[in-house]
Amino acid sequence: MNGITLFAPELTVVATALVVLLIGLFLNTESKKVLGYLASAGLFASLVLTLMNLDANAVMYSGTLTVDALSQFFKIVFLIVALLVSVASIKYTENNEHVEEYFTLVLLAVVGMMMVASSNDLLVLFISFELASISTYALAGFERRNLKSLESAMKYFIIGALSSALMLFGISFVYGLAGTTNIPEIAQNSAMLVSSPLGIVSIVLLVAGFGFKIALVPFHMWAPDTYEGSPSVVSSLLAAGSKKMGFVAAFKVFMIALVALKTELTMAFAILSVITMTLGNVIALSQNSVKRMLAYSSVAQAGYISMAFVVMSPMAITGGLFYILSHGFMKAGAFLVTAVVGYMILSENREAENVDHLENFKGLAKRMPISAFSMMIFVFALAGIPLTAGYMSKFVLFSSTIEAGLVWLAVIAILNSAISLYYYARVVKYMYFYPAEGERVSEPLPYALTLIAAVVGVLILGFWPEPFIQWAMEAANVLIAT
Amino acid sequence: MPEIIDTSSIINSYVPVAIFLIVGVVMPPITMLIVKFLSPRSKSKQKFTTYESGSDPTGDARIQFNVEYYIYAIAFVLFDVEILFLYPWATVYRGHGITSIATTAILAFIVIMVIGFIYEWKKGALQWSTK
Repeated sequence: MNGITLFAPELTVVATALVVLLIGLFLNTESKKVLGYLASAGLFASLVLTLMNLDANAVMYSGTLTVDALSQFFKIVFLIVALLVSVASIKYTENNEHVEEYFTLVLLAVVGMMMVASSNDLLVLFISFELASISTYALAGFERRNLKSLESAMKYFIIGALSSALMLFGISFVYGLAGTTNIPEIAQNSAMLVSSPLGIVSIVLLVAGFGFKIALVPFHMWAPDTYEGSPSVVSSLLAAGSKKMGFVAAFKVFMIALVALKTELTMAFAILSVITMTLGNVIALSQNSVKRMLAYSSVAQAGYISMAFVVMSPMAITGGLFYILSHGFMKAGAFLVTAVVGYMILSENREAENVDHLENFKGLAKRMPISAFSMMIFVFALAGIPLTAGYMSKFVLFSSTIEAGLVWLAVIAILNSAISLYYYARVVKYMYFYPAEGERVSEPLPYALTLIAAVVGVLILGFWPEPFIQWAMEAANVLIAT
Repeated sequence: MPEIIDTSSIINSYVPVAIFLIVGVVMPPITMLIVKFLSPRSKSKQKFTTYESGSDPTGDARIQFNVEYYIYAIAFVLFDVEILFLYPWATVYRGHGITSIATTAILAFIVIMVIGFIYEWKKGALQWSTK
């Protein structure tokens, strides 16, 4: 069967999740370390399988699932992020008795994200969305003795549940007007959607539903608290993986299914993206917690990426997709650095609180050179300094905006990038220009490996972006052609 | 799809939405008011006692349940859903030329359920501790 080979990546991840859960039950806490290696191996196998089917193109299972350039693009982003997170988590979950739950939840969340990327039907999309969401709710509260982690999980859960309800409500309107939940068929039956005002209601509800996951501004309230309170490795998965799931769902629903309502969509997203990037950047300026700063910067980045919805030209979507790929590396990497710093602080003082405070980054260059150097690369990439992935993605996205005649939007975005440089550079100042307040600590191997991998990713995307932009363009064509 | 943006038509298209919203907001208070005016009220002592032959309540309504009830409830839902899937499977699996694929699918489903069950068992969720 063709479907099985094309869905081998998902099946591999599911099988790994089940095996990890089952084996973990029969191991004692010391030997549970093997589960992390197993989970990472499963994700790596899945990544290889996806790369083997890179230019597959098929619609399967009565038109509910599709494999195309777009889905493969996003699956690879999710798998890379998950691989970084899972390798780093080998160290994080050391000596924890709930390792099997942790890795099973990570793997199931990734399956949910991958299925969202492949879904061709609103209901499949919703169920996969929920699979990923519910797994991450539990992950956010993984440190169950830590009040902050529990608070973050609670906020994430309540707001996430509300957003799911809104999304489902929006889907019900779309189904009522178009008479189908199949995404390409909705595009064909869009006459009712355009003529009825309920079409706009459904757009508003869907923007709200996806906006929560993406953390667009009126719906971003959960993001800083959740990213700050969750374990850093989980924040990394949330910011670099879960957020992209919101984007791929929005791409599929707004650019394929509801493309007939383009005028209304463009207007809504123009306002949302301007507010999102400005608010995210301005609030990030005054944050002293590095994770909170990264959370607001992640909100701002969501604002940049949603410019693709405003312009909707092939070039802009290419830019948006390339941005998503590079953001996966930079943001996941930056959150992993906070995980390493947290490890360093906690290994000195087990009772330490606010481990991600900026003060703890003082003199990091002396204490943990690899982490400090990686953090510098990540924050410079996030700010858009040339020769990093962030610069190339901003360049493609902003130039497409100017090309489309939306100069005002490009100007706002560039001004925002300039603002953002302040708080990114501040971290570098703390790491490199302040004296160290402690001994040199060597990074544990899993952390060091993931940081180096993420740095290599950011630099490759910065130095040699052509093949990746080409690839993003192919993925963008899927959205434009239909 | 309107190619040229006509502002008045955009605003007009929101009118039904606005009506929808206003009716939605105004309807509940109006019904409540109508009920308040129309329904007869009798404030007798009997009205505040337990309904019919129910027993008188004792203690506070907000008591803490043992969290283990919750785990049992989840286990129940799990197997309830399994039965729900097995019924339609049992009725269609023969005679539609899908026997092999239906059997594989349901076996995969049952294996996943069993793994969940083993997990629950092994974690001691079925052990009722009396503390």
